[in-house]
Amino acid sequence: MNINRPCGTFDRNYFQAKELYRTPLRKTLLTLLIIGMYLLPLTMGDYGLSLLIPICAFTIGMLGLQIITGYCGQISLGHAAFMGVGMYTVGILQRHFGFNFWMCLPLAGLIPMFLGMMFGIPALRIKGLYLAFATLAAHFVIVYVISNWRSVTNGTEGMWMKRPDILFGIDFKSDRNYYFLVLTITIVMTYLATNLARTKLGRSFVAVRDNDIAAEVMGINIAYTKIMAFGIGCFYAGIAGALGAAYYEYVNIAWFRLEDSIWYLGFLVVGGFGSIFGAIAGAVVWKVLDEATTLVTPLAETFLGGAAFYASAAFALVFYSLIIVIFLVFEPRGIAHRWEIIKRSYRLHPFPY
Amino acid sequence: MEETAKSIVLGLCSGGIYALLAVSYVVIYKSTRVFPFSQAAVLIIGAYVMWYCLIVWHLPIWLGFLMTCGAGVLLGMAVERAFMRPLVGQPILAPIVVTLCLMLLLRGVGILMGKGNIEGFGESFLPVGAWKIGFLHLPKIQVYGFILCGILIIALMLFYAKTRAGLGMRVVHEDHVVAQNLGVNVKRIFQYSWIISCVIAVVAGMLLGNIQGVGLSLDLNGLIAIAAVLFGGLESFAGAIIAGLAIGILQMLTIAYIAPLLPGETTMMVPFVFLLLILFIKPYGLFGLVRIERL
Amino acid sequence: MPDITKKREQRYSYGLTLLRERIEKKRPLTNPKPNERKVLLRAENISIAFGKLQALNNVNVEVKEGEILAIIGPNGAGKTCLLNVMSGFYRAQQGNVFLEERRITHSSSHKIAELGLCRTFQNIALYTGLSAIDNIIAGRHPHIGYNFLTGMIYFPWANKEEAYQRAIAEDIIDFLELEHVRGSVVGMLAYGLRKRVELGRALALEPRILLLDEPMAGMNLDEKEDMARFIIDINEFLKIPIVLIEHDMGVVMDIADRIVVLDFGNKIAEGSPEEIKGNPKVIAAYLGAG
Repeated sequence: MNINRPCGTFDRNYFQAKELYRTPLRKTLLTLLIIGMYLLPLTMGDYGLSLLIPICAFTIGMLGLQIITGYCGQISLGHAAFMGVGMYTVGILQRHFGFNFWMCLPLAGLIPMFLGMMFGIPALRIKGLYLAFATLAAHFVIVYVISNWRSVTNGTEGMWMKRPDILFGIDFKSDRNYYFLVLTITIVMTYLATNLARTKLGRSFVAVRDNDIAAEVMGINIAYTKIMAFGIGCFYAGIAGALGAAYYEYVNIAWFRLEDSIWYLGFLVVGGFGSIFGAIAGAVVWKVLDEATTLVTPLAETFLGGAAFYASAAFALVFYSLIIVIFLVFEPRGIAHRWEIIKRSYRLHPFPY
Repeated sequence: MEETAKSIVLGLCSGGIYALLAVSYVVIYKSTRVFPFSQAAVLIIGAYVMWYCLIVWHLPIWLGFLMTCGAGVLLGMAVERAFMRPLVGQPILAPIVVTLCLMLLLRGVGILMGKGNIEGFGESFLPVGAWKIGFLHLPKIQVYGFILCGILIIALMLFYAKTRAGLGMRVVHEDHVVAQNLGVNVKRIFQYSWIISCVIAVVAGMLLGNIQGVGLSLDLNGLIAIAAVLFGGLESFAGAIIAGLAIGILQMLTIAYIAPLLPGETTMMVPFVFLLLILFIKPYGLFGLVRIERL
Repeated sequence: MPDITKKREQRYSYGLTLLRERIEKKRPLTNPKPNERKVLLRAENISIAFGKLQALNNVNVEVKEGEILAIIGPNGAGKTCLLNVMSGFYRAQQGNVFLEERRITHSSSHKIAELGLCRTFQNIALYTGLSAIDNIIAGRHPHIGYNFLTGMIYFPWANKEEAYQRAIAEDIIDFLELEHVRGSVVGMLAYGLRKRVELGRALALEPRILLLDEPMAGMNLDEKEDMARFIIDINEFLKIPIVLIEHDMGVVMDIADRIVVLDFGNKIAEGSPEEIKGNPKVIAAYLGAG
C-alpha cells in the first residue's frame, strides 16, 4: 500500500509510479495554486509585493541550501556570501560592461558556482565539518574583496542596479511585472530542484549523506557528488541574490552578513531537511518573521524608550535563535514532516496509523 | 629585522589569547564531537559582565574576576543543559546548527546588555604602560594577559592529567559508549567540558575587552581562533596552543608587512586565507588525528 | 543442513531475467567445467599492516570463473580486511589485485565497482534514509545513462530510463522476495531483510564478481536456507563467481566449490571442502594446537 497515493488509486506502470501529482484532482489543485500565485498581485498592493518577491528570492536560495545540506549533508556557512557574489556580479556587469540583465542572470548563477567550487574543493575531499570552515573563511574573504576593491565594486557604499530590460513588450520597472518574472523563475527553479531530487544525481546526494563509505564502494564518486551538490547549491544562491537585488535596484554588502548564512541554515531546519516543501516553508517562515520583527520595533521603542534600535537588532537575534532551537528540540524534521503527519492522519482517518 | 622581531614578540603575546580560545574549542570538541561555534560569542558576554562589575557596579578587580568566572560557569551549565542535552541522538547537523544559533543568541544578549555601545574599561584593570627591552616595546597589558593565559592553560593540562575528572574526559573523548559502560558519568563530563570551555572563553573575553574595547566585534577573534584550531588539529591541545601562538604571530606580521600593501582590514582576512591554505595542504592540521573508518 | 546440492538444476526463484539479459549483452554466459575455468580475480602477495598489527601477510587468492569460493578462518584472521583490499577501500602496502588481468590495486573504490567488483558488508551499510527499492535503484548508479542536466530538466527519455531502471530493480526484488517491504524505509526493516536488500543492491550493480561478507550472520535456519538458495541461484543463473566469507561450516561445506582458510593474516590452506575438512592445520587453527 503506497501511503502517498489516495485510497483507491493504484499505479499500473512505472511511469505512473514516478508521477508526483498522480490523480486529476491533484493536478487540478496544482494548476490552481500556480494560477493563484500569478493572480495574487491583483488583490494586494505594493506592500504585498514587497513581501512576495523576497519570499521568492529566499525560496530559490533555500532550495540551493537544501540541495547542499538537506540532500547531500554538507554544512555550508557561506550561502549568504554567494548570494552576495551573485548580486555583485549583476551589478558589476551592468555598470562596467553594460550587459543587460538577461545576459547577466545566468552569469549571476555560474560565477558563484565556480567560486564556490573553488573554495569547496579542498574541503570536500575530506569528511567532516571542513566544508563549514572553508565556507566560513570564504565568507570573510569575499566580504573583504567586495569591500575593498573599490574601483570595481564601489566598496561599502553599494552599487545601483537596473531592472531587466523590456522583453516582449513587458516593462519590468513596475513591481507587478517584476513579480511575474521572479515567480516564473522561482517555479522553474523549483521544478528543476524537484527533478534533481528524484533522479540519478539526487539519489547519489542522499546516498552520500546517509553512508558515504558504502556509496563509494557501490560505484558513486563521492567527491564528484559533493562538488556537484555544492556547485548547484551556489548556483541557486547566485540567482536568488541577483533577483532579490534587482528588486531593490541596489546592492550593498551589508545585506549578507555571517548572520544571514546562519539564518539560512536555521530556517532550513525549521522548514525541514530533505524536501522541497521544507525549503519553501523555511523561506516563507523567515520572511514572515522578518516582517513581524519590523512591525514589533515601534512597540519596542515605546517600551524601552529612546534609541531602541538596538533592541530590534537584538530582538531578531534572540527570537529567531530561540525559534530555531525550539524546532530542533521538539520537531527536528521541521514543518515539512509535521505537514506529512497531518496529511497522513487525514488520509488514514479514523485510524491512528 | 627589528620589525620582524617586534612583530613576533607582540604576536606571541596576543597569540596567547588565541591559544586560550583555541583550547576552549578543543575542550568541547574532544569530549562531545560537536564543534562549539558559540564560544566566539561567549567572549562578548564575558567582556560585558566584567565591564558591568568594574564600571557600573564599581566592584574591586578580584571580585569582578570571580563574578565573571561564575557567570561563565553558569553559562556553561545552562547551555549544556538547555541546548545540548535535548539533542542527544540526533544527527551531527543538529548540534552544529544549535551552536551557530547560540552564537547569535549570545550576541543578541550582548547587545541587550551593552545597549549596543562599545564601552571601554576606563582604566584597565591590568597595569597600563609598557616595558622597553632593547628595541622591544612590550605593552604590559599584553604581557600580563599572556601570563594569565599561560596559567589557565597549565591549570587545564594539570586537570586533565592528574585529576579523576580529567581522566574521565580523556576516556569520553575516545568513545562515549565504552566510557559509559565503564562507569564514567558521560553527562557530567559533557557538563564539565562546557563549563571549562565557557570559563576559559569568558576570561579571554575579559582580556580582549581590555585590549580591544568591550563591543560586539569581539566575536571576530573567536572566529579567527577557528583558523587556529584547524591549523593545530581539531583534537589536540598541543596543536591548539602552538597554532594559537602562530596565528597571533601571523596577525602581527600581517600588520607589519601585508597591511601597507593591501587596502582595508587585512588582519581579519589573512587568518582565513591561511585557513584555506591549511585545508589545501594539511587538512587535518599539525597534530590532528586521521580516523580510519571500518566497514 | 539439508543437502541442497542435489537440486542445483532446478530454479526455485523467480526474477533476474532482465538482469540476465543485460549481463548477456556484455559477455557470453558459459558453463566451463571446474578444471577449465579461467582466473577472474587474482590477489597477489597482499600485505597490509595497521601500525604494528599485521592484518594480512603475503596472501594469494585466486577466484575462477563461475565458482563459489569461501574464505573461512577464526575471528581476526583478516577476511574482511582482504575483501576491503580487493574492493579498494584499504590500500595494501604490498601486493596487487588483478581483475580480468587488469590491475585495480590503486584504483578508487567507485571505479572498481564500475568494473564489476561488488560487495556486501558485514555490518550492514545501507542508505538508511531511502526505501528498499530506492536503495536498489541507487545501486544502479553507474549504469544509469543520463547526465544530471537531463535529470534536472527531466526530458521524456530520462523518464523512460527511470522506468527501465525501476523495472530492473523490481526484477531483483522479485528474486529476493522483498515485494512486501519495497516501499519501507530500510532503517525500519528487520536484520534479515536488510541483508537481503544489501544483496539486492550489490546485484543491481551488474557485478562481474560478488564479494559477500558474512551474508548469513545472525539468521536462523530458514533464513539461511533462503540466503543459500539466492547465492546458488545467482551463481548458476547469472554465472557470477561469488566470494563468500562465512562462519557456518555447514553452509560452507555445502555450497562452496573451493575454500581458502586464513589465520592471523596468513593463508594456511586452500582446496575443495573435503580436503579442508581433514586438513590438520585448519583443525589446529580452529580448535587450538595441541
